[in-house]
Amino acid sequence: MVATTYARRHGLSPLGVGIGLRRSFYEELPRTQRTLDWVEIIPENFLSLGGRSQRALDACAERWPVLPHGVGLDIGGPDALDEDYVTGLAALVKRVDAPFFSDHLCYSRLGGVYLHDLLPLPFTEAVVEHVVPRVREVVARVGRPFLLENPSYYANMPGGTLSEADFLRHVVEEADCGLLLDVNNVYVNARNHGYDARSFVDALPLERVVQIHLAGHTTYPDVIIDTHGDRVCDDVWSLYRYVLARTGPVSTLIEWDQDIPSMAAVLDEADLARAALREGAGR
Amino acid sequence: MKPSLKHFFDSMGSYLARPGGESLERLYTAHPEWRAPSSRVSIYGDFVRGHVRTALEKLFPLLRGAVGAEAWLALVEDFTLTRPARHHEVNRVGEGFPAFVADAVSSRGLPPYAPALARFEWSDFAVFVSQAEAPAPVERLTPNPTLVVLEQPFRICAWVRARGQGAARGPEAGDELALLWRHPERLVTYYQEATPAALLVLKMAVEGLSASDVATATGMPEADILESVARLSREGLVLAPLA
Repeated sequence: MVATTYARRHGLSPLGVGIGLRRSFYEELPRTQRTLDWVEIIPENFLSLGGRSQRALDACAERWPVLPHGVGLDIGGPDALDEDYVTGLAALVKRVDAPFFSDHLCYSRLGGVYLHDLLPLPFTEAVVEHVVPRVREVVARVGRPFLLENPSYYANMPGGTLSEADFLRHVVEEADCGLLLDVNNVYVNARNHGYDARSFVDALPLERVVQIHLAGHTTYPDVIIDTHGDRVCDDVWSLYRYVLARTGPVSTLIEWDQDIPSMAAVLDEADLARAALREGAGR
Repeated sequence: MKPSLKHFFDSMGSYLARPGGESLERLYTAHPEWRAPSSRVSIYGDFVRGHVRTALEKLFPLLRGAVGAEAWLALVEDFTLTRPARHHEVNRVGEGFPAFVADAVSSRGLPPYAPALARFEWSDFAVFVSQAEAPAPVERLTPNPTLVVLEQPFRICAWVRARGQGAARGPEAGDELALLWRHPERLVTYYQEATPAALLVLKMAVEGLSASDVATATGMPEADILESVARLSREGLVLAPLA
C-alpha cells in the first residue's frame, strides 16, 4: 500500500464518503438523519447564484466539511485563467473552509466562450508544459491544496506522445498537486479505449490520490458515456476496492448528476462505499 | 504555448463553434495523422450544442411551448451558433436569448408576444437566483431588493398564471407593468401585474412614507393602507420591520 504522501504533506485526513449537493436536495439534505461524512459542491452553482443555493450551502457547511469540485476552471485551456472565476473560487473555498478543492484536467473555454463541457487534451509534453504553471498559479491564488481529476474521454486527441497515465503523472508531479481519481472514468476509458483498468491504476502516482469519485455510466453499442446517471456498477465497485487496497482509505464521493433519484438512493450508494472503505481498513 | 498546441485549440475551436459534418471534416484535415473515430469526436460537438439547448429548454418552457417544436429547434440552433455561452454558469446562456428572440420575431413568424414572454421567463429565473439578499431585520418598510419591473405590451402575468388553460391563444395584447421578486422566506419567484395598491406600497417603501402620511395626502382610509402593507409584506414585495 502506498503512503498517501501528498495528503500527509498537507495534513489531509480521509473524510469518509460524501455526496453532491444538487438542486433537488437543497431542502432535504441539510436535514437528513442519515450518515454522511462530507458534501461536494460544484462551485459554478454557487459563485453567481443566490437564493436557495446559498441557503442550502450555508446549512450544509454547518454540518459537514464542504469540498468544491469545479467544472469551469479551464486549467488546460488556451485562454488566460478567468480572473473573476478564480477570485470567486478562492473566496468560496475560504468561506466554506474547504480543506482542498479540485477540478478536471481538461479545457472548457475557447476564445472567451465557456463550452460547459470537460474537453480532453492531447497527451503531450506541450500540454504538460502549458498546464503546470496554471496549476501553480491557481494554488497560489486560492491558497489550499488542489486536486486534478482524470477525466473521461471518448477519443484520443491528435498528436499524443505520452500514455494517459504518464500524462497524468507528469502534470500532477510537476505541478505538485493531488490527484482526484475518478474510478468510473478509469473504467469507462479502459472500456472505450481497450486497455486494462487495473494496469492503468498501477501506473498512476497513487501516492497523490486524495479523493476518489464513483459514479454510474451509460452503455451504448459502440461507446460508454460517463453520464453520472446510474448506480455504480459491479465492475467499478471491484476496481474501487482494487484502488483502496493500494492507497488505503481515501475520501470518496458518489456522483449522481443525471436522472437523479431520491436522495435516499444516493445515500444508499454512499453506504456501500463506506462499507468498502471499512472493509479496506480492516485488512 | 507551443504552436502545435495552439493549432490544436484553433482547430477544435472552429469545429465546436459550428459542429457538423463539414467542420468535422475540416478538423481531420487539420490533423492528417489523427486516427480517432469521427463518431467519437463528434460526441463533443453534440455535447457542447446540447448544453445550450438543455439550458434554454429549462429556462424558457413557456416560450418553447408557445412557438412550437419546429420553430423552437430552429431558434435554439441559430442562437447556439452565436456562441453565447460566455459565462461559467451555464444558465447565464439565457441572458441574451430574449434579445435574440426579439430580433427574430418578424423573420421567423414568431408570435408577437414571444419577446415579452422570453424576457419574463428570463427575469423569473434571474430573480430566483438573484444575489441580492434581503436584509433581516429591516428598520423601515423596504422594497424587496430582488424586485424587477417589466414594462410589456402583453398581459403576460395573467397568461402565465393561467397556463394550461387556453394557453394556445397566447396572452392578450395590452400594456402591463409586471413585478417579479423573490420571496424572502420561501426563496421562490413571485410575480403580479402592478396594481395601484402594490405601487402605492412600493412608493411608501422607497420614499419612507407612513400610512398616516398617505392617508392624509390621499384621503384613503388608513386601515386599508395598513392592510395593503401587511398583505404585500407577507407576499414579500416589501420587507416590513418586526412588529
